[in-house]
Amino acid sequence: MPSRIIEWIDQRFPLTSFVKHDLTDYPTPRNLSYWWNFGFLAGIVLVLQVATGIFLAMHYKADVAVSFDSIQHIMRDVNYGWLLRYMHATGASAFFFVIFIHMARTLYYGSYRAPRELLWWTGQGLLLLLMATAFMGYLLPWGQMSFWGATVITNLFRATPFIGDQVVIWLRGDYTVGDATLTRFFALHYLFPFLIIGGVLIHLVALHSVKSSNPSGIDLAAKDNIPFHPYFTIKDLYGLGVFLIVYSVFVFFMPDSLIEPANNIPANPMQTPNHIVPEWYFLPFYAILRSVPNMVGGVVAMGLSVMMFAFMPFLDRSRIPGGARYRPLYRLQYYLFLLDMLVLGYVGYVHPTDQTILVGQIATLCYFASFFFVPFISKMEERWLIKRGLPAEVVTLMKSESLEIEKRKLKHSRHNGVKS
Amino acid sequence: MNAFLKIAVLCSFSVYAWSSEVKLEKVTLENDVPAIERGAETLMNACHSCHGMKYIKYRDLLTFGMNKQKVDGWRADQSLDAPLLAQMSENDAMLAFAKVPPDLSLMTKARDGGVNYLYSYLLGYYTTAEGVTGNHIFPETKMPDPLGISGAATPEQRTEIQGQARDIVSFLAWAADPHEAERIRLGYYVIAYLLALTTLLYFVKKQIWSRLK
Repeated sequence: MPSRIIEWIDQRFPLTSFVKHDLTDYPTPRNLSYWWNFGFLAGIVLVLQVATGIFLAMHYKADVAVSFDSIQHIMRDVNYGWLLRYMHATGASAFFFVIFIHMARTLYYGSYRAPRELLWWTGQGLLLLLMATAFMGYLLPWGQMSFWGATVITNLFRATPFIGDQVVIWLRGDYTVGDATLTRFFALHYLFPFLIIGGVLIHLVALHSVKSSNPSGIDLAAKDNIPFHPYFTIKDLYGLGVFLIVYSVFVFFMPDSLIEPANNIPANPMQTPNHIVPEWYFLPFYAILRSVPNMVGGVVAMGLSVMMFAFMPFLDRSRIPGGARYRPLYRLQYYLFLLDMLVLGYVGYVHPTDQTILVGQIATLCYFASFFFVPFISKMEERWLIKRGLPAEVVTLMKSESLEIEKRKLKHSRHNGVKS
Repeated sequence: MNAFLKIAVLCSFSVYAWSSEVKLEKVTLENDVPAIERGAETLMNACHSCHGMKYIKYRDLLTFGMNKQKVDGWRADQSLDAPLLAQMSENDAMLAFAKVPPDLSLMTKARDGGVNYLYSYLLGYYTTAEGVTGNHIFPETKMPDPLGISGAATPEQRTEIQGQARDIVSFLAWAADPHEAERIRLGYYVIAYLLALTTLLYFVKKQIWSRLK
C-alpha cells in the first residue's frame, strides 16, 4: 500500500528522485571533518529562531508605550515565556557564532574557489540578511541599548550622497527613532527570516549542483564519495547534540551574559548611555566604523569590511588546492586575520581612548591589507611552493583539478552550442 | 564658556576613570524564602517610600511563599494584584530629588556588576569631615543613605547593616528573575538528557561509519 501511494505521488511529483538525488544517493566526500557540520547547524538555528520567534510574537506588543512591559510580561507571566525569550536571544548569538565558523572554514580550506563562487556569494547575501534581521530584532525590547543602537546605525545612512537626510527619515518613518520605527522593524523582523529561508534554498541548490568541497581542496573521484544518508545525517546529528549542550548551558545557566545591562532599562530618548556598544557579533565592524575619522569614510569602510569576503574568489590567485592546508603563507595570513578580528572586536567593545583608537586604526588597516595582499602573496607563494617541489599527492590533485575545469568548460560550450 | 566645557569634559573623564577603578565588594546571595522575605521587609521599610517595583504584584510575594500577614500589612487596602508602586508620587519625588527614583524590578540586571554593584552601592556611603554624606560607588547619587551605613559606629552595627543589604539584594535578584530557580533546575535535566542523547548518537555514528572500512 505505501509503495502504491509513493508511486502515485511519483507520477505527479519527483518525490523519490528528489530524496535519492539530495539525500540517500547525494555524493558527499568521505573526508569531511567536523568543520563541515556548521552549515547544517546554521539551518537548525534558523528553524529554532523562527519557531521561538513566532511564539514570542504572539505575546509581544510593538508599541513604544508597552513593548518593554510586554517583554517583562513574557519573562514573568507567559508559560515558559522566559524559556522562549532566552532561547531566542541566545539563538541570535548562536546563529552568528555558527555562521562565523562556517565562513572561517570556507576561508581556511579555500571552499570559495571555482566552481563554488556562487555558493559563496549566496552565503554572503545570507550574511547580510542575517545582520539586518538581528539588527532590527534588537530594537524590539525597546531598552536603552535597543534605542541608541538603532539611532546610531540608522543615522549612518546620512552618508548617502545628496539624499542622506531623507533616507534616514524614510528608514525611521519619523525624525527620530520612535513608534513608527519600532512597528516597521517588527514587521520586517518577521518578514526577513522567510527571505533567509528562501536564500537558504538557493544556497542549497547551488551546493547540490557543485557538491561539497573537502579538506583536500579538489573534487574527489567517485570512489571517495559516500551517500549523505546515513553517514552524514548521523554525523550532523551527533554534532547537533554537542551544539545543543553548549547552547543549553547559555540558555539555562548564563542567559544574561549576552544581554547588555543597559538594555534592562527602558529606552529613554532624553538620556544617552555613556557607552553605546552593539552586540558582540557586530563589534569588529563597529570598530572599523569608528576607526575612520570621517563619517562617510567610516560607513564605506564598514560596508566594505563585510563585503570584502565576496572578492575572495578573485583575490586568491593560487592554483594550489586545499586552501591553507598546503599553503604555509596563506595559513599564516589566515591566523593573523583571525587575530586581527579579535583585536577589532576588543577595540569595538571598550570605551574609546587615544590608544584604543590608534590600535583600531592599525587593525583596520591590517584588515583591508590582508585582503589587498592576497593576490600578490598567493601568486608568489604558488611560485615558491612549485619551485620547492610540491608533495606528490598535491601534484596529482592539481592535475585532476585542471582536467575537471577543462571538462566543465568543454561541457559548457557544447551545451551552449546545442542551444544556439 | 570654553573653560566651562573643558572643566566639564575633565570632570566627566575623571569620573569615568575613577568609577571604573572602584572595586566592587562581592556578595554571596541567599535564595531561600526566609532571606528573600527579610529582604522584602527591609526594602518595604527603607526603599519602598520612594522606589516602586512595577513588575512585582503582592500576589507574586504570596505565590513565592511569603507570610500572608506580612504581605497583607504591606499592601494595606490595595488589591493582591496591585503592583508594588512607590508610596511617594512622581511629582513629589521630582520636587524632592529633581529626579524620579528608578523602578527596582530589574535593578540587579540593569547595572554593570549586577548584585555586587547594588550591594557595594548600598554600603558605599560615608561621611566626610564636614559632615557631608557621599557614595564611593555612585558619587552623583541623589539617594540619602538608606540603611545608615555612614553613621554606623560599631562593627556590630556594620555587620547588621551588611546583612540587611545582602537580604535586600537577594530579594531584588529574585524580583528581577523570578523563574531563575526553575530555570536552573530545568537546565540540569535538559543537559543530562542531551549528554545521554549525544553519547548514544556518538556510538551510532561510530557504528554506521565502521561499515565503510
